[in-house]
Amino acid sequence: MKTKFISFQLVCSCFLLFLAADIVAQDSKIIEANDFFLDSPDSTKYAVIMVGPTVGDESKSKFRQWAFSLHDILARDYGYSTETISLLFDRGESQGAGAERIDGACDLQGIQQQFASLKSVVKTGDQITVFLMGHGSGEEEEAKFNIVGPDITGIQFAEILDGFEQQDIVIVNTTSASFGFSASLSSEGRVVISSTRSATEKYDPIFSRYFIEALDNRNGDRDKNSRVSMLEAFNYAKSNVEEFYEEQGRLASEHAGLDDNGDALFSLNPTTAEVDGRLAEIAYIDTLIDSSAGLPTAAVRLKGRMQELERSVFILRGRKADFLEADYWQQMEVLLIDLARATGQFNEQVNEQATQ
Amino acid sequence: MAKTFSLLRLLMISGLASVIASTALAQDDQTNTGETPLFRGEQLLMSGSYAAATEIFQMADGLDRNEGLVGASKAFAMMGNYQEAMSVVQNAIEANDYARFPLLSTQLAEIKRVVGESREALAILKSVVDGLEDAPVRTLVQYGSLLKFVGEKETASPILDQAVQRYNNGLVFSSEDVAMVALASWLMDNFHDANSLFSEATRANPNNLEAHVLWGDLFLEKYNMADAERSYQEALDINSRYVPALVGMTQITGDERALQRAMAINPNSTAAIQTYAQLLMVNEREDEAQEYFDKVLEINKESLKTLSLLASQAALEEKSENYASYLAQVEAFSPDNPIFLADIADYLGKNYLFVEAVEFARAALEADPQYWQGYTVLGSNLIRLGEEEEGKANLEIGFENDPFNVLTSNMLKVFDTLDTYVTLESEHFKVRMSEHDADILWPYLRPLLEEGWNEQTAKYNFEPEGPILIEVFENSEDFAVRSVGLPDIGPLVGICFGKVITLISPDTLSANWQEIVWHEFMHIITLQMTNNRMPRWLSEGISVWEEREGRPYWGRSQGLDLVRAAEQDKLLDIADLNSGFSGARSDADLGFAYFQSYLVVDYIAQEYGFEKLVEFIKQYALIKEDSARFQEVFELSLAQFDAGFDAWIERRVAEINVYVHTEDVPDEGAGHGHGVRENSSAILAELYNNASLKQHMQSRIEENPRDFQAYLQLGIVLFKEEDFLQAKQYLQQAYNLLPSYTGYPSPPLVLSQIYEKEGNREAQLEQLELLLQNLQHDYGSAIILAEAALENGDFERAEYYIDRAIQVDPYRSDVHQLKAGLADGIGDSALAVTEYEVLLKLEINDPVEAKTNLAEAYLKNGQALEAKQNVLSALETAPSYQRAQQILLQSIEGDAH
Repeated sequence: MKTKFISFQLVCSCFLLFLAADIVAQDSKIIEANDFFLDSPDSTKYAVIMVGPTVGDESKSKFRQWAFSLHDILARDYGYSTETISLLFDRGESQGAGAERIDGACDLQGIQQQFASLKSVVKTGDQITVFLMGHGSGEEEEAKFNIVGPDITGIQFAEILDGFEQQDIVIVNTTSASFGFSASLSSEGRVVISSTRSATEKYDPIFSRYFIEALDNRNGDRDKNSRVSMLEAFNYAKSNVEEFYEEQGRLASEHAGLDDNGDALFSLNPTTAEVDGRLAEIAYIDTLIDSSAGLPTAAVRLKGRMQELERSVFILRGRKADFLEADYWQQMEVLLIDLARATGQFNEQVNEQATQ
Repeated sequence: MAKTFSLLRLLMISGLASVIASTALAQDDQTNTGETPLFRGEQLLMSGSYAAATEIFQMADGLDRNEGLVGASKAFAMMGNYQEAMSVVQNAIEANDYARFPLLSTQLAEIKRVVGESREALAILKSVVDGLEDAPVRTLVQYGSLLKFVGEKETASPILDQAVQRYNNGLVFSSEDVAMVALASWLMDNFHDANSLFSEATRANPNNLEAHVLWGDLFLEKYNMADAERSYQEALDINSRYVPALVGMTQITGDERALQRAMAINPNSTAAIQTYAQLLMVNEREDEAQEYFDKVLEINKESLKTLSLLASQAALEEKSENYASYLAQVEAFSPDNPIFLADIADYLGKNYLFVEAVEFARAALEADPQYWQGYTVLGSNLIRLGEEEEGKANLEIGFENDPFNVLTSNMLKVFDTLDTYVTLESEHFKVRMSEHDADILWPYLRPLLEEGWNEQTAKYNFEPEGPILIEVFENSEDFAVRSVGLPDIGPLVGICFGKVITLISPDTLSANWQEIVWHEFMHIITLQMTNNRMPRWLSEGISVWEEREGRPYWGRSQGLDLVRAAEQDKLLDIADLNSGFSGARSDADLGFAYFQSYLVVDYIAQEYGFEKLVEFIKQYALIKEDSARFQEVFELSLAQFDAGFDAWIERRVAEINVYVHTEDVPDEGAGHGHGVRENSSAILAELYNNASLKQHMQSRIEENPRDFQAYLQLGIVLFKEEDFLQAKQYLQQAYNLLPSYTGYPSPPLVLSQIYEKEGNREAQLEQLELLLQNLQHDYGSAIILAEAALENGDFERAEYYIDRAIQVDPYRSDVHQLKAGLADGIGDSALAVTEYEVLLKLEINDPVEAKTNLAEAYLKNGQALEAKQNVLSALETAPSYQRAQQILLQSIEGDAH
């Protein structure tokens, strides 16, 4: 994995001055996904869930429920274990139902220790997904994640993450007023999701609820490959948040954004055709399982053919704007029919092997 | 014209005020309070002590004498003593030399106008204006105003312009004169200037009552009710006895008490009497209204508003001689008056005679093409006839020349919304709706409309003129503006204009939208059968009655409300039924007006037969008295019919046979689009704890064993306490007492919840079935019953309950999932296609699955091409999705089955 890491804080002070120029220059900042999130079956995926303190039983209970649900879903549906999930919860309470899942307190020391410990086990190409729940505050360099004791700023947390140059990083920041903190973490090769688009969106977001729902039972799997990418989970949560506010007849007090090209400009509607979305599309929550082992040669060949066709579909889809619509669909139809036939033949091969 | 108020001008005015004050203090003739009579008189006039003001003003002498007499005249006028108001100034005008006494003469002319002597008033004002080089601003404006009133618009303009130019030249200082310049600007259609000048006048002197009220009148003319109310209120805060402000306020709020107060203060206020007569007219008390109108004309034979209202009523009733007489009276003092004609047009439009309204509006514009309000009246009535293009063009003319008219701008804004809508057509209907509604609602609306058309045209043997235009608005403000021009229409959700129906989209309702559509379409039949002359009570009564005919669970069952109304003697006589609508003070009142109207129709249908009902409807196409219609059809006088109806109601109440406690609130009839009704159990839960509520309800039952609400509430409390055994007994007793109860929660609903908690699914479903026999707005129960029926393979039952759920909310995917499952189950591939099409539009989480499902439905329905297009779209996102791949291969191989 190449190290193309450009720390956000280096450009932070110039950010406002060059904001306009950055927007104009977005086209040139589309990330070539080849260097990141290579999704190797050999890699390990880690999750760090950080839940800050809150006031009131209702909020506390809500965050607790979300954190524990996420913990359980990662373990149940995505192959994570107690070794690969860390939960830093409030003061690190060791009593009460589910307390055994909690690895420590969500304070500065706990966070530093946790990432130091992670640093000692990760290898190149591993993926770390950080989930933040609770409250945030402030803007720009003052943006903070509220933790026990002195709050942690985005710049401080970015420094911690700088220690993971050889790993893929995903940050899902679901706190209130999460934008400033999230923007501080933006960097080339990282996927950063923020549940709010500005510091003024300071009411507790419900984004977290739907993001977890997207992961639960792979509800967010839109492309039916039995895996949930960060882009899929983001879009699932975003649609449901919008629906929620519409049904309530309320103006939405949160607008989630995603940045995966390191420019700290968050897209509200990321897609693979936009500046943000391409990296998030290949950033999966789970580890790819190598299913080629033990297959007959013909089946392996067919699987290769299927992967090649699938890749051609992705390439064509990425260039949709370059075609007249009729031409695009004509080419897409050919590819998809070939892929469907190849898949059918592959299944026959596998079934034949199974019956022998 | 200078539109800004300079600091210099303010200083000059405040300086002038200081000079006036010091001059006043220097007067020799002082009251016993040490103030001059003029100063004290003005204070009394401003505070509403009119009688005292007349005396004090007349004490003014010297330089103050004439101003004092004008003050006394104003004070007399405020009490309606117009003769004294005139004589007190007339006597001081020596040798009728009006130009020598401009202030006195102008006041005299103003009172003469109030009492309908416009010719004399004109002559006086002309003498002043012609006799002086610089006539007072007030004289110029009153003269110009009167010239315009009598139709001499060309002569009026330069006179009014003189007043404006004087202001522009920096020669108008006092708040009172600035308000007059504002009035001049208004009369010259310079509404923006008028608004700025009224603002300036009221800032210069916040106690200028006349300016506040004139400003309010300007806002009222522009349908800006909020600002008009603010202006009137500001005047009333200074003087709560200021009659013009009380009348203005009544015109906005309909507050009859304010009007009665105004008439008590000034029994000869033509504005107050006329407004009161209008209220009587709205409530169909025409005879009483006529007495008040006569009184207005006795005071002022030139009251344009009264004459236009009387002429409107004559035109409405096609009493051509009467109409000609009123027209002649107006022509005598104001020939070709466009306001008179446009007011008639507006009145006819409000009474649903849109064709006639358009004719009068056109005549108004012919009389004066620059009468901009005329374009608004014409445009709004054309729209209600479905003539949208011409209507919009006229509204645009009105808006270009009078952009302050809220009615005009609101209606034009709705066209912007409509531009984003799609137009769909069925055999007899043209429907405009959002794309969202076109995708989701149209598949269910279309067959319903045609069913309504087929059934009702056959039943009433009448085919309305079509196509019927239906507009379905997602935004309730758009709906209200389209319907009445203003964004607040109260709790109404659908309105029929004869050829046009406006509706609120079911997406913003929690009511049975199909019942509402059925109801509104029935209005098309009755309105067109009577050339839009159907009275509201009968039209609503028939529409509600036809709801029950359309589906047995539609319509209204308000047994408790009926018993309560009968006990409290609140049932209206037939002649007063319309006032139940126009005078409704709450959603409950309005709901009961619908219910009683329905009862009358039900009475006719049951006691005299459906044919008599049709015969009765046809009577309204003819111009005649109501009593004659009843005589013709039922061979009864109105009183005899009322007596028969009362007896029938008594029998009905006896059949219901429940006791209604006085402490209970009306809680039935919710969900028909007339607001949310009370929830008795929620109210009681706030008043009592469980123990005291149980005790109270038990004592009520002991007092009266047929107290339905007591059984129900006791059952609810016991349910909350999980004493299911006792709860079931009380709830069952409540149900037995009044099975048709439509309040919330009802006995079957609570019973179903008990059985659910007990795990008795069969009994739960049984209760839900009972519930849906009387409650048509419950989505969740219908879904539970549909799911149960599908589980049992009972497709007919499933279809029934799925449709019941769609009637309440077609925008939820779970009901369409069920219907798609049903379609698959019964092998109805076309239905499956419809449902999967809707599901695709509703899907937000899994569009790939939705497209694949639709593709499969297309394939089964023999639509291979559509199947391929949809599945390709699914595979574009999910290329490795094997189910979709198989459908793709089937679609290209023609293997549709």
